[in-house]
Amino acid sequence: MKIVVPVKQVAALDDEFELLDDGAGVDPDFVERDLNEWDAFSLEAALLLREAAGDGEVVAVSVGDDEATEGLLTCLAKGADRGVRIWDDALQDADVLSVARVLSAAVERESPDLVLCGVQSSDAVNGATGVALAAHLGLPHVAVVSGLSYDAGSATATVERELEGGLIEVLAVRCPALLTIQTGINEPRYANLRAIKQAREKPMDELGLDDLGLDEQAVAAAAGARRRRLRPPESGGGAEIIGGSPAEAAARIADIVKERMSG
Amino acid sequence: MSGILVVAETRRGELRDVSLELIGAARTVKDAAGGRLAVALVASDPAAHAGALALDGVDEVLTVASPVPHFEAHVAQRALEALIESEGPSLVLVGHTIDSLGFAPAVAVRAGLGFASDVTALGWEDGPTASRGAYGDKLVAELDFPGRETTLLMVRAGAFEPAEGAGEAPVREVEVELGDAIATEHVEFREAAAGDVDITKADFLLSIGRGIEDADNIPQFEELAEKLGATLSVSRPLVDAGWMSNARQVGQSGKTVKPKVYLALGISGAVQHLAGMQKADTIIAVNSDPEAPIFSVAHYGVVGDLFEVAEALDGHFD
Amino acid sequence: MLVAAAEKTREVFWHFPTWLEALWYVLAVSSVLVFAYGVARPVAKYRRGQRSGLPPRSELPGRFMTATRTLFSHASIGRRDPYVGWAHRAVFYGFATLFIGTIVLAINTDITERFFGWRFFTGNFYLGYSIVLDVLGLALILGVLLMMVRRGIIAPRKLDYARPDRAPEDPQYDRRVYRAGDWTFIVLLLVIAGTGYLLEGVRIAMDAPGYDSFSPVGWAAAQGYEVLGLSNGVLTTTRHSIWWFHGLLAIAFVSAIPFTKAQHMLTSYSSLVFKDPLAGKRLRAIAPERAAEPAGYGKLADFSAVHLLQLDACTKCGKCHEACPANAVGRPLSPRDVILELREQANLTMKDVGVGGVLGTLLGGRDNGNGSLDVAIMGEDRVRVDTIWACMQCNACVEACPVGIEQAPIINQIRRRLVEEGELDANLQSTLQVIHKSGNSFGENKRKRGRWTRELDFEIKDARAEPVDVLWFVGDYASFDPRSQRVTRALARLYRRAGVDFGILYDGERNSGNDVRRVGEEGLFESLAEANVATLNECDFKRIVTSDPHSLNTLRNEYAAYGGDWEVAHHTAFLAELIEDGRLDVAGRLSYRVTYHDPCYLGRFNGGYDAPRAILETLGCTLVEMPRNRDDSFCCGAGGGRIWIPDAPGAERPSENRIREAVGLGELDFFVVSCPKDVTMYEDAIKTTGNGERLELRELTELLEEALAADPLNQHTEAAA
Repeated sequence: MKIVVPVKQVAALDDEFELLDDGAGVDPDFVERDLNEWDAFSLEAALLLREAAGDGEVVAVSVGDDEATEGLLTCLAKGADRGVRIWDDALQDADVLSVARVLSAAVERESPDLVLCGVQSSDAVNGATGVALAAHLGLPHVAVVSGLSYDAGSATATVERELEGGLIEVLAVRCPALLTIQTGINEPRYANLRAIKQAREKPMDELGLDDLGLDEQAVAAAAGARRRRLRPPESGGGAEIIGGSPAEAAARIADIVKERMSG
Repeated sequence: MSGILVVAETRRGELRDVSLELIGAARTVKDAAGGRLAVALVASDPAAHAGALALDGVDEVLTVASPVPHFEAHVAQRALEALIESEGPSLVLVGHTIDSLGFAPAVAVRAGLGFASDVTALGWEDGPTASRGAYGDKLVAELDFPGRETTLLMVRAGAFEPAEGAGEAPVREVEVELGDAIATEHVEFREAAAGDVDITKADFLLSIGRGIEDADNIPQFEELAEKLGATLSVSRPLVDAGWMSNARQVGQSGKTVKPKVYLALGISGAVQHLAGMQKADTIIAVNSDPEAPIFSVAHYGVVGDLFEVAEALDGHFD
Repeated sequence: MLVAAAEKTREVFWHFPTWLEALWYVLAVSSVLVFAYGVARPVAKYRRGQRSGLPPRSELPGRFMTATRTLFSHASIGRRDPYVGWAHRAVFYGFATLFIGTIVLAINTDITERFFGWRFFTGNFYLGYSIVLDVLGLALILGVLLMMVRRGIIAPRKLDYARPDRAPEDPQYDRRVYRAGDWTFIVLLLVIAGTGYLLEGVRIAMDAPGYDSFSPVGWAAAQGYEVLGLSNGVLTTTRHSIWWFHGLLAIAFVSAIPFTKAQHMLTSYSSLVFKDPLAGKRLRAIAPERAAEPAGYGKLADFSAVHLLQLDACTKCGKCHEACPANAVGRPLSPRDVILELREQANLTMKDVGVGGVLGTLLGGRDNGNGSLDVAIMGEDRVRVDTIWACMQCNACVEACPVGIEQAPIINQIRRRLVEEGELDANLQSTLQVIHKSGNSFGENKRKRGRWTRELDFEIKDARAEPVDVLWFVGDYASFDPRSQRVTRALARLYRRAGVDFGILYDGERNSGNDVRRVGEEGLFESLAEANVATLNECDFKRIVTSDPHSLNTLRNEYAAYGGDWEVAHHTAFLAELIEDGRLDVAGRLSYRVTYHDPCYLGRFNGGYDAPRAILETLGCTLVEMPRNRDDSFCCGAGGGRIWIPDAPGAERPSENRIREAVGLGELDFFVVSCPKDVTMYEDAIKTTGNGERLELRELTELLEEALAADPLNQHTEAAA
């Protein structure tokens, strides 16, 4: 049984980040990179399936620059068997569909039984990479999975879809399939630092676009959108900030609450 | 390619509000885009809702009969691909919902469309333009879709006002071969645990999030809620961690609430949470991060330590 | 054959035909062989443990000296319990004397007399021997009686051996076997000693050798026989019977030493010889030869040889059980019971032969061991995961143990394995991830580490950019926690007032890693230590001062292994220096009535008891000592990563227990602390125990600052007048 887990090294902005002048991006000094929260859950789901089967291979794949290596090492430390990192400078501002295209070239070669993605990444929050990837791979897909039951080699998996309002739909999906995994489905394990250091011994492939039979044009052709500019959100109509000490703020809040609740 | 195609949604036989919001969104750019506005519905009995979709501004309602009683992602995908092929819209609008996440990106890939999800603003400049969040909603990205004949946009629920006003759109049945698209089988629905409390009925919600840090801090907020005469609700991370039942969860996969007062402590305001409470009458948010997205929907904000504020607040409600 | 009455001696084998004497020797030799086997078996078990951690041979003579001194003084046994100290001295010296006396007699009878014709068991030597043994034998009996009174009448709770890591319904909860074994032991001692006097009495009654004053107890026993008026025939039979009863019982006792509670004579002493004097202060890094192995203790085979030995050294005295703060608040941890549980498991691995099999059955009837230590130590019916995580790594157990057992370091090694296997609380897990990412436990961007300085009206030097005298290693809580930041700023103002040339590392400082290591995340500790050492080694300073006892401990005791070798002091010691040098004029300015809580890592771990007290005294405050103070101080509950683990709701927290203890002291102005974690824990506990009106917390620095601000006018005008 082989499970591929695409992961992303996401960017989190510091409290006091700065935009680059032309709105082209954010000053990298103020950006913290970390493994996407959802991917910890999808990786854990893969590891649990492999443990239940007693056998199998879990491959973590990421489209990302050097910083993505750390996230992949964490996956390897937790128990993934192999890591694959894909990068080319042309991918610097790749949008969700371009990334899905590039991923598909790498994932295809693996011929996985299951592909487990996170529902979304915490920085871009597209929620689309997984299903777009499934379309390239021609795999059946289910998005926003909050429960998963699968036996290695089985023709179907039973999954739960977490719908709005807390409603759950239980369905069976034909396998091989791609699932996007929601947070809370399991308890991701801890990768201790010793394991992360030892994970450097595990196999990690580093691929460029040409290794995948792609080039800059192909990536551009796959893109779904172009970002013209990045700007701060409109503050018009935003919150009236209550200043002062906590005691003063609390007093004001108490007034507002009493006034609104009495009407 | 011309015109706008809106894809409506139903669940368990009910038309979902987002469908009307999409029509509202489409109307804001219909004039600039030119062409017709068509609304499509893929369901086992689509005709039942055709009337509700024939609103002012809608030129045509397209119904596609689904071979299965409930939403099936691959059926929806095939149906939309067929509709795009046959109707040739320049803009397709779908809700950024759990169901649509299951198929819309796949359609974008297979039909080579322009694409963006979680769109909060729409425009037209020689083709569609859109705005969406970036870096977890701390910034806004402005997008366009050069060289794309058709663009598919997934629109954030609640970002647009629902369309109103009856219209007179004709209904047309579109036949699409869907039987062989099916790749999943519905087994059952399971309701969320009823729980001891219905937060959707509360007038005053005291809502706590990741900022409270420890499960053992929860009792103090339970007490505070009681003192304030509020009902305690939580954001998703507390439910994921197993600290609270999801009966108290506010958000996209929890409950949608519209209380008189929503007091949020330590909630950053991830979009899925905002979806569940942004319609509250008065939103007061306390968070140590001045950039927390919750401040964009809150009416009043306090940038500070929630524990200190909570403690001080306690004294005002004896 | 009677010996000439004029000779001061006594016959050893009274009226023994040769064959009987021979039988005696056969039995005696057999008992020695059984004893030897009994020693060899566990030694073979210890040798199956890991060799790393064994001290080098060159240290052994010194270690034997120290161990012997500790033993002879009984300082560690009598500590905090003078009754037991004296009772055990009596038993120890009594038993040791009688034992040595028997050997001396054997040397005389079987070696010198038999082979060289030299009998020294005579004359004044004999008289001296007699009186010494009589008195010390009596001491033995008195000591045993005292122990019996303690166990039976005074009955301290800990001697019921009830274990907090099992519920009463659990089969392993029952500790009757231990209690029965301990009673048997002391009863046997009493019987052996008692029959010895009975024998001496009948001899004196029958032989009337004179020199009664040199055998007073025996003489008293003889009077008893006189009173009974027994015939010579009866007395003869009695004499023979008691001789054999006493003799057989004695040699049986000796041969059974390695198999019973009596083994502590050997194992406890050995533990004192091999113990790590820095246990807990400086934890052991993962041995290089084990780099590819899983970290820490998951099976008995992972244990160091010394730790395996220490499992057998426990006498169940319960000092650690009483000292443990986790146990005191009802958590499922008693260091004693961790050791006993591990001991039971280790004993069951011993090859099941003869007496060991009996013991194995007594202890739970599991399968026979095959000698392999390849046995997992964790499990529902073994050591439980929540037991290991309840520990605060405060070292109270290590400090209290009279025989040098290293309970807290053993728990730490077990944690290393649990961390590696992901068996840790989810909050702890995310805190470790946060520390890894941001270098601090608050998850704040490291750029914010120096923010607390902004509210000062002066700049603090960046020690990375310019040389300083004192490099101030601030610590996470002191840097980021709002309440502690007030203390940190006060300290900065004091340093400036005193004209100290100091600097901080700003965002170059990372969590020192002390608590990360105590949690068992060795890899993260290493990376923090290496990073801090690299940063510090780039700086130019004379000494390091820290406001955080946890950082103090690791910087001073553990960083040397990573290339960091500096003089490290705690801010209380430094402030005391400044006061003494006259750089801070605070004498007699305050007259508060205060109590002081010794922080674990400053006090117990690093001996820093006096400086804070000296400061309080200089200030003019009246110090009312906490009942549990100095090395007996009671942990606030934050250590060992516990501050990052949520407490079970409803249960008492250690900090609450401590505040109640303080409130019991009566009227106090302040509860004084000198650790940032204590500030956090006790501010909270004062509130949650509802003592907000009764007790106020002050960090020592804050009192000092108040003293400086206090009006000195009175002093000066008085001096002038």
